[in-house]
This record gives sequence, C-alpha cells and structure tokens, in this order.
Amino acid sequence: MESLHSINRLNPSLPRTLFIPCNAQIHSLCNRNRALHFRVSCKLKSSLDARKNAKLVSQKILLSEKVPPPLAEEKGDLAGDGGEEAGKSGRGGGVGLVKRFSRRVLAVLSNLPLAIGEMATVAALMALGTVIDQGEAPGFYFQKYPEENPVLGFFTWRWVLTLGFDHMFSSPIFLGMLALLAASLMACTYTTQIPIVKVARRWKFMSSPEAIRKQEYSDTLPRASIEDLGVILMGAGYEVFLKGPSLYAFKGLAGRFAPIGVHLAMLLIMVGGTVSAAGSFRGSVTVPQGLNFVIGDVLGPSGFLSTPTEAFNTEVHVNRFYMDYYDSGEVSQFHTDLSLLDLSGKEVMRKTISVNDPLRYGGITIYQTDWSFSTLQILKDDEGPFNLPMAPLQINGDKKLFGTFLPTGDDDSPKVKGM
Amino acid sequence: MIFFTLEHILTHISFSIVSIVITIYLISLSVDEIIGLYDSSEKGMIATFFCITGLLVTRWIYSGHFPLSNLYESLIFLSWSFYIIHMVPYVKKHKNYLRAITAPTTIFTQGFVTSGLLTEMHQSEILVPALQSHWLMMHVSMMVLGYAALLCGSLLSVALLVITFRKVLRIFSKNNNFLNDSFSFGEIQYMNERNNVLLSPSFFSSRNYYKAQLIQQLDHWGYRIISLGFIFLTIGILSGAVWANEAWGSYWNWDPKETWAFITWTLFAIYLHTRTIKNLESVNSAIVASIGFLIIWICYFGVNLLGIGLHSYGSFNLH
Repeated sequence: MESLHSINRLNPSLPRTLFIPCNAQIHSLCNRNRALHFRVSCKLKSSLDARKNAKLVSQKILLSEKVPPPLAEEKGDLAGDGGEEAGKSGRGGGVGLVKRFSRRVLAVLSNLPLAIGEMATVAALMALGTVIDQGEAPGFYFQKYPEENPVLGFFTWRWVLTLGFDHMFSSPIFLGMLALLAASLMACTYTTQIPIVKVARRWKFMSSPEAIRKQEYSDTLPRASIEDLGVILMGAGYEVFLKGPSLYAFKGLAGRFAPIGVHLAMLLIMVGGTVSAAGSFRGSVTVPQGLNFVIGDVLGPSGFLSTPTEAFNTEVHVNRFYMDYYDSGEVSQFHTDLSLLDLSGKEVMRKTISVNDPLRYGGITIYQTDWSFSTLQILKDDEGPFNLPMAPLQINGDKKLFGTFLPTGDDDSPKVKGM
Repeated sequence: MIFFTLEHILTHISFSIVSIVITIYLISLSVDEIIGLYDSSEKGMIATFFCITGLLVTRWIYSGHFPLSNLYESLIFLSWSFYIIHMVPYVKKHKNYLRAITAPTTIFTQGFVTSGLLTEMHQSEILVPALQSHWLMMHVSMMVLGYAALLCGSLLSVALLVITFRKVLRIFSKNNNFLNDSFSFGEIQYMNERNNVLLSPSFFSSRNYYKAQLIQQLDHWGYRIISLGFIFLTIGILSGAVWANEAWGSYWNWDPKETWAFITWTLFAIYLHTRTIKNLESVNSAIVASIGFLIIWICYFGVNLLGIGLHSYGSFNLH
C-alpha cells in the first residue's frame, strides 16, 4: 500500500480508501509536435464493490508539450508578427539605427507567409520556363508570340524578351527570387529555429489548473494517480518529468531539430550551386577518331570566378571510338579510348570512357555523352575520297537524323540513319 | 517463352481479381457494410499484390535489368507501391481507413496499364546506354514511391475538402450512411468509447460528431502520408542529381521532367509550411495538396507526352 501513501501525499484532496491504480490502455491518438494528447481508458474498481463499480472511463488528457515561451521574448514567432526588441538601446545613435534596421529586416524576412509566397512564385516561374521554349533566337519568339495575335490576349514577345523568359533559369527575375528565398531561409533559421533548440531543452511546468485548461487540448481526470500517468506515458515513449504534483512529458524532440538541418542543407546546396555557376568551366566537342584536341580550347568559363588551371594545357588524343550492340541491333553502349598527353607529349593517362563512366584528371572530368556523324567519306572507283560534312537535323524526340549535300548537278541527296 | 506466358497469366489474374475487389468496394460503399465481404476483399487485395510482385520479378529475371525502364514498367511499379501503401495500415492495425481511397487508385492505375492503350510497350525492352547504371534502381524507385505516396495523400486531402464543404457542394445528399460506411467496425467501437471527449473549439461545433472525427482522421493520415512521400521525393531528386553528375557532367540541367519534379517538391514544401500556421491548418493545407494532385500527374505523364529532353525514355504515342 505504499502507493496509496504517496498518492495521498501528492493529492491530499482525494479520499483515502477509494483510489486504486488502474489498469490502463493507451491509444495514442495524435502525435503532433505542438500539443500531444492521447486517450487513457482505465478500469476503476473500488475495493468495496468489486463488480458493480467496474466502469470504463476514458478521457483525453493534456500534456503540455507546447514549447514554453522563450525567456527573452525578443523575436517574432512563426505566425509572423515582427518582434521588436524592447528595452535595448544602442550605444550611439548610428549604431542603434543600424541595429534596429537590421532587426526590422530580419523580422520581415522571417515572415512565414512571405516565404510561402516566394516558394509559390519560384514554382510558377519554373512552370512558365518549361512552357516557353528556352534558348531560341529572338526571331522564334517574334513568330510564336506575335503582337498582332497575342497568346491569352496580352502575352507577346515583348514580355518574353524584356523579362528574360527566353533564358528563364538564368534570368535576373528568377535568380533574384531565389536569392530572396535564400535570404528568408537564413533569416528564419537565425531568428526562429535556433532559439527553439535552446528553448525546447528546458521545460516549464504549468503551476495552476487554469493555465492547463486554457490550452488547446485539455481535459481532467479526477481520480487518476499522477505516478501511474507517468508510467503509462513512459511506456508510450514519452520522456517524463515529475515535479511535485505536476508532470511534464514530451515526445518527438527530434522533430524540432530536423527543420534546422533541412534548411541548412538547402542553404548549402544553394551556395554550392552559386559557386559552381560562377566559377566553373564547361564545354563540349565532337572529335573524330584519330584526332586531338586541347582541353583549354574547348572549355569556356561560366562566370566571373573561373580561373584556368595547369591541367588545361593537356592534349587529348582519341585513339578509338566504338559501339557495342545488342542482338537486336540497337546500341548498347558507346566507348571512346582516350589518352591524355601533357605538354611534352608524354602520355599521362589512358582510359576508355563510356556513358556512365567518365574520366577524371586534375580536376577536369571528361564525359561520353553522345555520338554523331562528322563527315561522310565516299570513295568512287579510283577517285576520292570525297569528304562530305554532315550536320544533325532537328527532329522531335531522341532519334537522330543527319543530312548532307551531294552536289550532283542540282540534286541533293540526304542520307538518313535512324537510331 | 515460359516467361511470356507466366507474365500473361499473372497480368490477367491480377486484373480480374482487382475488378472483383472494386465491385465489392463499390457495393459496400452504397450498402451497409458486410464483414465477410470486407475480409474477402482484403484477401483479394493481398492476392493481387502477390501477383504484381510476381510480375515484376518475372520481368526482372527475364530482361536482366531492374523493371523500371519505360513507362509501362514504371506504371506497374506505381500500382505496386499503391498496394503497399494500401496494405500497411491493414497489417499494422487490422483496420484500414484509407482503403476507400487507395484501393481504387491502385485498381485504376493497373487497369490503365494493362488495357489496350499501351500494348506496344508491353514487351520488355533493352536499356539505352544512359540507363545502364546502378543509380537506376535507387533514383527511379524512390521517385515512383514518392509519387505514389503523394498521390494518396493528395487524394485524402481532396476527400477532406469534399467532406468539409459537403453542404456547399451538395454532392452526397443522399444519406448520412455514406460517412459511416467509410469506417470499419473497429472504428465504430472505438468511437463509442469516447464519451467525454472535449474537442478543440477550432473544429466546427457541428452536431455531426462523426463528420468532425472523419475530417480529423483524414487530415492526420494525409499529413503522415504526404510527409513520407516528401521524404522519398527528396531522396529521389537528390539521387537523380548525383546520377546526372556521373552521366552528363552537371547536377542539374533544367530539363522539363526535372523542373516539374522540383515544382512538385516545392508545392509539398508549401504544404508542410502551411500546416504550421494554426488557423484552419487542415483546410488550407488540403487545398494545397489538392493542387498537388494535378501537378504530380503533369510531372509524371504530361512531360512524357512531350517526348523531349533528357528524360524521353517514357514517351509514347497514343494511336
């Protein structure tokens, strides 16, 4: 009967004899991060009437898992009211002004509806970028969105070219929106997420029943024992803290840290993307078998931070290009045997690359992306060989079509090869 | 040759079982629930699940590559993942609130795939060079699982919206039994126990207690499924970017399929952020998720119809 004693000590208002710890079943109803609540159904049996008073009582209990209000109370919460700091005055007028301004800016940027609006705008711009053909010559847009007959009644080529929609994904409007989103991310992480980590590790007991009743989900269990409640909660996976007659339990603390990790990861991706967009080199070249090219000649800088390295002077020699075929005749893989020669003509590396298997050397990566015809060599009896350059023709989809021009009088004869 | 016939048999068995199951579901929706039928329909779903698994495994063994190389195979994989989503709550708790939503989705997807519309794609094909990589398994399977989960979640949100604005729309004007039929028997007992529950005042104080219950359940389950789908989608996009770097030299070309996957991701990120706002979190986020339903289909199907870009393996022609 030890438990009875402790109960009496804790809840002196309850009658002595009637209360017995109950067998309980728990149904965990909902596990949100803010307020958790669950249902406990207990069978209460009084010691006096064993059979008559067996009742099924089930009630919903509130446990305040809500994050206690932070002690400093200085920043805006997620619902977006800008929290100005009270009572902190800058030392000099100028310093104070800058500080206040930066706090205003932070408060505005970490506003959640603004962030949602930014994300929606970015999504809409991206969708528009897939609808409008990218990277074509201006004449294409004159033809497709003419002024005499505007699409949707107002959309002409002026819209497309002035707003930069023909190169949507590097246009200033899109990049500016992304930069704004990044700024919002940083502001939100700084003002809201990091303090939540500090605050979530403390717990605040609510001292009066009125405070508990004012919560979003609350209930009363008039005849329950608080220690049993603690045990039940621990069985359900909560971390329980008991202080006097009150109990504080929480579950799912990892959910507080996860958004910080996600936002930091996104910021890292954005920074990496910016660095590589501003400071890398890329290029592509079609080289027939047996010829060479110098790496530095085919790579072009992509931004203002790009600086060439020593490896740019290497010469690449194509030893052999061959394709593997399936039994049905379709291409299974294409391979190129490359050797890299440095300035003195010595071979420094030799590798056969194929589509998912690139060559890496000195910070440069060489990929096998595609193949095409460069020239068609025709031998006629004992004259020749005649070299006819071939060019790819535009066609929808992935098939290839090459054309060349054979000057026999006035005829053209295109040669078609499908893949 | 044996594989062909095996595939043929499995396809037909699964499709016929599934048609029977959907008939049972439709009957149970309009008439009161019969427990024997419920059990047999669940068993039918499990049988179909094994058939589809057998189908996928057969294709894998026969063609030598993971069965996800063209649109037909990815649609079979999609319906397979719908089966998994349908069965997980059933296995865990033996009552399934979602079956009214997930089962028809499965059935319609599979029916579309095995129908006569796409017969020229049924043969297993060889992989083009760009797809011959170990990343194929991870990237595509994660994306398809993500799409499946997000589709289920957005359908649940659409259901939530329809039920919330039921009076406005006057669609289900016939009987109140419609609401109760979506519950299994366990649910009704469970609710009988809740005598002294204080519901939050943010719910509408309608006299229809069961309606509020259903809405809360839909909201809760929709949130959990969409979160799961969001994780899969993120992993799929990231693995796709890493694969693209291995194959084509850059992490992200603004390819239509990639861009639309990113738009889907952004939209469901908006959904998750909308849920943190306290007022009307269920209704607002449900609206966002409903838009997501359309966007996922555009991303999955619409882009393939154009047939351009680096992801053109899924293109097909409707004759």
